[in-house]
Amino acid sequence: MGVTILHLSLLLALPPLLVGIIARTKAWFAGRKGAPLWQPYLDLWKLLHKGAVYSRTTTWLFRAGPIVSLAAALAAGLLTPLGAASSPLGFSGDVILFAYLLGLGRFFTMAAALDTGSSFEGMGASREAAFASLAEPALFLVLAIVCVPAGTASFAEAWASPWQTWGPAHPALPAAAVALFGVLLAENSRIPVDDPTTHLELTMIHEVMVLDHGGPDLAFVLYGSAVKLFLFASLLVHMVLPVPPAGGALGAGVFVAGAAAVAVLVGIVESVTVRIRLLRVPQFLVGASVIAALGLAVLLYRGTP
Amino acid sequence: MTGYADFLLLAVLALDLYVVYSSRLAACVRASALQGAALALLPVVHYLETPSANLVHVLVMAASALAFKAIFIPRLLMRALRDAGVRRDVEPFVSLHLSVLLAGVLVGISFWLATVLALPAAGTTHLFVPTSFATFLIGFLVLVSRRKAITQVIGYLLIENGAYIFGQSLAAQMPFVVELGLLLDLLVGVFVMGIVIHQINREFDHIDVDQLNLLKG
Amino acid sequence: MGQPALLLIVVLALPAAGAGLCLLLRSARAVLAVLTAGVLATGLVSACLAAAVFGTGPLNALGGWLFLDALSAYHLVLLALVFVLSTVFAGQYFRHSPQALDRRSARRFGALWFGSLAAMTLVLVSNHLGLMWVGIESTTLVTTFLIGVHRSRESLEATWKYLVICSVGIAIAFMGTLLVGASATRTLPVPSDAMLWTRLREVAPLLDPAPLKIGFLFILVGYGTKVGLAPMHTWLPDAHSQAPAPVSAIFSGVMLNTALYCIMRYIPVVEAATGRTGWALGLVALFGIVSMLVAAAFILFQRDVKRLLAYHSVEHLGIIAVGLGLGGLGTFAAMFHTLNHSVCKSLGFFCAGRLGQIYDTHDMRRMPGTLRASPLWGSGLLLSLLALIGVVPFAVFMSELQIVKAAMDAHAIALLVTFLAAAGIVFIGAFGHATSIAWGTPPEEARPQPAGPVDALLVVFPLALLLLLGLWMPQPLRDVFEQAARVVRPVP
Repeated sequence: MGVTILHLSLLLALPPLLVGIIARTKAWFAGRKGAPLWQPYLDLWKLLHKGAVYSRTTTWLFRAGPIVSLAAALAAGLLTPLGAASSPLGFSGDVILFAYLLGLGRFFTMAAALDTGSSFEGMGASREAAFASLAEPALFLVLAIVCVPAGTASFAEAWASPWQTWGPAHPALPAAAVALFGVLLAENSRIPVDDPTTHLELTMIHEVMVLDHGGPDLAFVLYGSAVKLFLFASLLVHMVLPVPPAGGALGAGVFVAGAAAVAVLVGIVESVTVRIRLLRVPQFLVGASVIAALGLAVLLYRGTP
Repeated sequence: MTGYADFLLLAVLALDLYVVYSSRLAACVRASALQGAALALLPVVHYLETPSANLVHVLVMAASALAFKAIFIPRLLMRALRDAGVRRDVEPFVSLHLSVLLAGVLVGISFWLATVLALPAAGTTHLFVPTSFATFLIGFLVLVSRRKAITQVIGYLLIENGAYIFGQSLAAQMPFVVELGLLLDLLVGVFVMGIVIHQINREFDHIDVDQLNLLKG
Repeated sequence: MGQPALLLIVVLALPAAGAGLCLLLRSARAVLAVLTAGVLATGLVSACLAAAVFGTGPLNALGGWLFLDALSAYHLVLLALVFVLSTVFAGQYFRHSPQALDRRSARRFGALWFGSLAAMTLVLVSNHLGLMWVGIESTTLVTTFLIGVHRSRESLEATWKYLVICSVGIAIAFMGTLLVGASATRTLPVPSDAMLWTRLREVAPLLDPAPLKIGFLFILVGYGTKVGLAPMHTWLPDAHSQAPAPVSAIFSGVMLNTALYCIMRYIPVVEAATGRTGWALGLVALFGIVSMLVAAAFILFQRDVKRLLAYHSVEHLGIIAVGLGLGGLGTFAAMFHTLNHSVCKSLGFFCAGRLGQIYDTHDMRRMPGTLRASPLWGSGLLLSLLALIGVVPFAVFMSELQIVKAAMDAHAIALLVTFLAAAGIVFIGAFGHATSIAWGTPPEEARPQPAGPVDALLVVFPLALLLLLGLWMPQPLRDVFEQAARVVRPVP
């Protein structure tokens, strides 16, 4: 019970903090002091207290979009262990459900964007769909690398003893980590794939889809994407760091530190690279897939003793 | 715990893919230099894990690989780049997306080939043979799919590196002279290519090989 | 180490020393003199070595790394013969403008010429497969610069193609060599023996077939590039047509054969390891027949006389490969054909080179009346082209006939039909070309040059040799071919 409460509180409380850390890192790189780390919480609070305006041309889909995507992200969060050996809803095969829950959230975001009838948002949805279809194979290959050595399709089992995953998968893990980081950047619309702070609709991908949302809806959208970032970061942390399998306070501590480090890393990447041209995004994602495939090949190849 | 040789070989594979992925010539040259450095480390790491070969031999190998593959040849290429004033391989014969995919396929083929061959593993790593084939084949891909003479030289370097890795797995069987011979002619080969590039550039004012089309039939 | 074995080292050292000496000389004339003397001396040593091998059996030196048996001794003599002829011809060729050499390019030419002789000799005398590969690689590097002795856009392009394509071929061959070595690591007690051909041949039936097969594929494609087997032949016409005529002669006359010799070395090993199923032979024959077909197509519509001769090289090396692939009498015929082709092709390039100087072009449409412009070189070219396409009294016809007979013996009907079809196309195409340039009126701007006794000897000697061998083969020569063929032929 205690573990579940810890899990839920981490899942609900931490995501905006990561966004804050990224913003802070970028500010530090730019030589500014930056907003306080809890600024995203304040933003959410402010948005939740605003009213919402809905266009008369929209239907229930538009309202369902933010809610479903947030719900899907949170549900996915219940499947993956966060620094503990077990997850509240973990079962054998949860890895696949995890990927599909994220897909469901994306589908509703895109459907809501199309529902507005605005050409800009439609364009964003089409880009999102194109890039997501390229990012998905990479994600699945990474998940395969995680699951194959443990012989399971459950996060909890795969990460029950992290160093055992490291053993046989040794050279494959760096490849998987690199690929996963690429997917993380793409799925969470970070530089170099997308720029979350841009205000040029023509070059945006994710942000352009949610232009028409306001108030609590926008809060849901922002919170949902923070949760998504948090989930990817948690995968990366579990893959790279030896989070103690017993969980508890130490596990949670290592996990939180790792997640913060991932956020800092994203901030650094955002500060030192530039956004690549839209035309080159597919290449970036195909590259991530190829690296992940490479890792899987290395993992499966045993040669002759 | 598996060996560090695996990491090195994986890095070599990743650099292969990077060369395919990048259109900037300077980045390709740097990647090939980095790969050279990894290859120079390879015999040393291999020796630390399975000290079967002669240490002096290993050190000479590593030093010469470092000197030629990681320092001398990349410098030569960089100079050729600067002299020729080219920066990008625009519009390669095969688009970059397709090249990356093809490279992935080639890696798959290499692993399959290594399984078919079933050569005895050298030391602690199984990756020698597949990495060697992959580097070799990707070198080919770069050689035939790019337009600039310098990219072709880089492709050739990858081919040579592939052969070098394979040679490493047979280090015990391959006497000294042959390995030095490989390095030597790699050096001379690229040196010659460098000179020729320079001459082509002077005579034609460009280094696009697809414009070398006077001789036909 | 006996006296003949010591000669094995001398035959390597002599041209290497000559290369160094050439760099020190003061005049172009001195370089050519040293060249002639050095090549003649090397030729004599080669002849002594061959006599020892055919008299008393194979020679060894340097702990088994150097080795000379009937096959390599035969090729060594061939190398010496073509080099001597080409060196003498080079002396004549470079005396005339516009190809006259200044001091610097003469030095460079001399050093490279000796260097390529040394490299090819290294290929032939090494028992170590790695060393053999080093020889082929250095041959490429040295000869690269020989193409561009006269620098022009075209020769630069030819040099680049030659360098890139052949370097890649050689890298493939290296991989193949390593794979062949790897196939022996589980078999041989001393792993470093895995690269020695004599050891490999002894244990051939025990080798690991999978790496050996892939290795042989790499070898065939890799060295095959250097041989000019289609479809890896694309460098060949460019390099042959742009190189100065003496260089084309050694390219076509011996360099291609040296590369094919490397493939020959692997055939018996692979055949023994794969249970004598004819797998390796079939592959060699396939490459050979494809080369013949490709060459035939290009010969039919050729306009440049040196490119014509170059495609003939592709065709004839293809014929030799077909002979090797047939085994039995075919192997013997392949050896015979090697000699015929080398002699005939050298003659062809000599004549084409000198006629090119006279007409200042190699375009066959602009060189009518060669017989009138220069009776010696014109008739030499006509007869060499006729001999190359297999006109009756010449030896080329005899060796091709033997290959046809070998194909009939082996009941390889499809091969036989394709062979005859390709040879027929080549006959029609080249016969037309040969006659169209022989007769007619030479253009005004042709500058006939006097032909001296040395020139006459250069034309008459190869022709006489071809004619003699076509009519009658002395028993000792038959023994030489037979002994060389026995090395390659898989034991039945």
